Amino acid sequence: MNKTADVVIIGAGITGCAAAYYLAKKGVSVIVLESEMIGHGGSSRNGGGVRQSARDVRELPIAMYAIEHLWPNLSEELGCDIEYHKEGNLRLGKTPEHLEILKKLVDKSVSAGLDVRMIDGDEARQICPYMSHEVIGASWCPTDGHANPMVTTLAFYRRARAMGVHFISGEEVVELQKHHGMARKVITKAGNCYEGGHIIVAAGYASRAILNTVGIDVPLMKHNLECLVTEVQPPMFWQMLGTAEADFYGHQTNHGSFVFGGSSGLDAYVKNDNDAGEATSITAPSVCRGIMKYFPDLADAKIVRHWSGFMDDCADHVPIIDKVNEVPGLVIACGFTGHGFGIGPGTGLLLSQLVLDETPCVDVPGLRYDRFKAKA
Amino acid sequence: MAMYLDRDDDLGGFHPEPDDDLIICRCEEVTKGEIRRAVHEGMRTMTEVRRFLRVGMGLCQGGTCGKLVKGIIAKELGVKPAELEECTSRSPARPIEMRVFANEVSDDE
Amino acid sequence: MKRYDLIVVGAGPAGLSAAIEAAKYGLKTVVFDENARPGGQLFKQVHKFFGSKEHKAKIRGFKIGEQLLDDAEKAGVEVHLNATVSGLFDCKEITVIENEAMHHYKADAIILATGARENMIPFEGWTKPGVIGAGAAQTMMNLHGVQPGSRVLMVGSGNVGLVVSFQLLQAGIEVAAIVDAAPRVGGYGVHAAKVARCGVPFYLSHTVIKAEGDDRVTGAVVAEVDSHFKPIPGTEMHLDVDTICMAVGLSPMSQLLSMAGCKMQDKGGIVPIVNEYRETSIKGIFAAGDVGGIEEASSAMITGKITALAAAYELGFAEEKEFREGETCYKASLAQLHEGMFSPANKGRTDLTVTDEGVLLSQNLLKKGYLDLGEIMRFPGAADEVKKVHGIHPVIECTQNIPCNPCQDACKFGCIAVGADITRLPIVNPANKCTGCGMCVASCSGQAIFLVNDDFSETEASVTLPYEFLPYPEPGTKGMALGRDGKAVCEAEVVSCRLSPSMDHTALLTIKVPKEMSMTARFFKAVGV
Repeated sequence: MNKTADVVIIGAGITGCAAAYYLAKKGVSVIVLESEMIGHGGSSRNGGGVRQSARDVRELPIAMYAIEHLWPNLSEELGCDIEYHKEGNLRLGKTPEHLEILKKLVDKSVSAGLDVRMIDGDEARQICPYMSHEVIGASWCPTDGHANPMVTTLAFYRRARAMGVHFISGEEVVELQKHHGMARKVITKAGNCYEGGHIIVAAGYASRAILNTVGIDVPLMKHNLECLVTEVQPPMFWQMLGTAEADFYGHQTNHGSFVFGGSSGLDAYVKNDNDAGEATSITAPSVCRGIMKYFPDLADAKIVRHWSGFMDDCADHVPIIDKVNEVPGLVIACGFTGHGFGIGPGTGLLLSQLVLDETPCVDVPGLRYDRFKAKA
Repeated sequence: MAMYLDRDDDLGGFHPEPDDDLIICRCEEVTKGEIRRAVHEGMRTMTEVRRFLRVGMGLCQGGTCGKLVKGIIAKELGVKPAELEECTSRSPARPIEMRVFANEVSDDE
Repeated sequence: MKRYDLIVVGAGPAGLSAAIEAAKYGLKTVVFDENARPGGQLFKQVHKFFGSKEHKAKIRGFKIGEQLLDDAEKAGVEVHLNATVSGLFDCKEITVIENEAMHHYKADAIILATGARENMIPFEGWTKPGVIGAGAAQTMMNLHGVQPGSRVLMVGSGNVGLVVSFQLLQAGIEVAAIVDAAPRVGGYGVHAAKVARCGVPFYLSHTVIKAEGDDRVTGAVVAEVDSHFKPIPGTEMHLDVDTICMAVGLSPMSQLLSMAGCKMQDKGGIVPIVNEYRETSIKGIFAAGDVGGIEEASSAMITGKITALAAAYELGFAEEKEFREGETCYKASLAQLHEGMFSPANKGRTDLTVTDEGVLLSQNLLKKGYLDLGEIMRFPGAADEVKKVHGIHPVIECTQNIPCNPCQDACKFGCIAVGADITRLPIVNPANKCTGCGMCVASCSGQAIFLVNDDFSETEASVTLPYEFLPYPEPGTKGMALGRDGKAVCEAEVVSCRLSPSMDHTALLTIKVPKEMSMTARFFKAVGV
């Protein structure tokens, strides 16, 4: 087996798979190493939002680029229905305080050039008639949407694999080694050594330990998040939903089921010694209570599953996407802090451009790896 | 850690079989042919096939089809079913209405 | 959070036995079951169980269920019905859905006794209404009094397939055939024989390939399979049936264990890795009964007790001496059930050709479901010496080593011997003191004992057979005697039909037949019925 390629990517989540695809498209040889299986982490566990609104302006350009140029054609391009819907995002408020929160988010996004605005409860109910009258206002971003995260990640993988990208799973990376001053070798737990002209580390929280082996540290924490899915419901609406309180978010899928994510308020303290996605006993019920306040019609929908995943929570809650100048050949893409799916295709394209020294599709100086400084 | 899998293996290509249109997952109406094809397209674990096709994700949570799906995947991969990883079992063990799920009662001592 | 010493999930034979045992040691115990009635599968088991007295042999399953409920009540066990355990989480916490609400409970030990679910095999049309699990058919008949169909194809010749086939016949439903892709009958020969002599044909090395019909089953196509279980073209055969019953094995319902993070393994079904006390990889979480590996209810009750005893000891409720004594006793009892040809150690073996006694096994029994006359005579319950006995005497057509000995206990006159090893074949003592009481006939869970009297009259012999069909025939009823293969062999007339409470609904039907038919006539069918 050939263990050398132009690029070695560590991590087969949405980021790694998308990067592999866009590199392969440009004729670059790629090896992807994954410690678990394809899409094992957050890529298959998230709520599927493909959203620009309420995003930090530092990463917003990637989202806007992806939604304008990549997502709409992705099903066709990958030869697989990734269930993308571009029918808007409603972020809901029930109190004047909520509306204040929403207003601030809207103002920030508008200043960054996004089409998003505040609407009142009635207008929100015209867009999505199933909402309870407790909703008094919302932010509305008509170009937001959602897709199926499990299928999208696997579709990138499937297409990249068909184009010759070499994927190896169950191959946990333990060390990076430099060669003549360049990042070059990737050593795995099984003792295998892979070599690449460039190495992209896109391994979620595990990126931190891997990067440490070449003297780079990134401020990441593991933070639990949970989602749930209902049985099939009749088609109701296609908007992506969120709330000002951030107590839940979600959407209805093509399949008919609703996928919701949310928080118990104690998520950051969930033990993180496993990554099998074992949910807590308290989060999903709390999310359900939140949902029913906004969507009383869903009270009889049956919950079929709930699960958890760990996000790689970055110190300032936006990702690190950068070429590491002090370790030539090393590229980092981690710290997505629970919102890496929606920008996943954009991140993948951007990584391919960084590797190939092409003009990047967007400029994201705020995502540099060395931006973290002690307070003054 | 997951089992080592080099995904370059093309498994000798996908060849149609007469019973490919047989429904295996009744809840999500997934056929044997779809499962076999997914394996050939790179889905090499129970979980990947499940996520790609929704097989075993319906109301019965794979209770009926889990074993059948495993057998089909194993056969395509040329391994014994017991060599494949298990899909994770998730709460709730039975589908539960949202209003019931949300209605937590504390039975204190 | 409300906390118990022990939480048991599942109120079937394993769970109830565990709770009763735990109560003995004073553990504060609660049992949750999602069903409206306790007892698990026991209440649809209308047949008599195997084993020995301590395993509750010759008692019908539902009676064992009633006994268990009674014991549980006396022991003060708290049983919550309609209470679905939906999750098993860290720190031995469970969530229970009860009365439209979700409750959280914790315990220091948790015994999972959630049982098993039925397997399915896919074939063309398998999703049509009318294709059902054999267990589902049993539930419809025996719990709800509903006939699942009028003419049934049974797929699978394991004990479930055989027992349910017999119960279908008892419920007045025709069984068109039993098919099994394996080349040999999978269940006990005695279960096969009692179905075969009712006229049900067995097709081994056959499988169902199609359920016919538009919106429900109106027929089935079966075909012979080759050694790779592939249907052989040209061997297709149509059967007129409206129901296809699948008895193709059970899988443990072990989801809660895997959800909790217990280490699991695939042994044809997903089971937890357990130690000798059925404790999983997580200390204090146990698996009792089928969820730990498919067996039968008798074993399930013992494993239930073992888990509860171990939990009681771990939590300091049982002293070491009590624990050791209990352990020895339960392990010995379980070992008895694990002996013989059908033992877990012999599972899947097809190379057994002789019994423990060295008697050549019947190939007919394995291929057609019944023994031929020549084969019967090889076995100690029906050997030539037995045949030479004058007057009434038992003929025991028990030809496989299965753990069972009620016949020995039933005979007060010492005619029948099994010995201490309960899997041995019963021997009929030629120095016959048989009075014809028939208690052996009624007590044999396999319905494999007959009383034969070659000296009934100058020209006739009498045959007394176990009979569990309603209505019981009146003396004088004329009809046909059927052979072991279910085919009419000669005319016969009912001499008597005896029933007493101790026979527990297994009537002793005595028919008279021509003398030479005494070793051939094994069932009775009234004319015009």
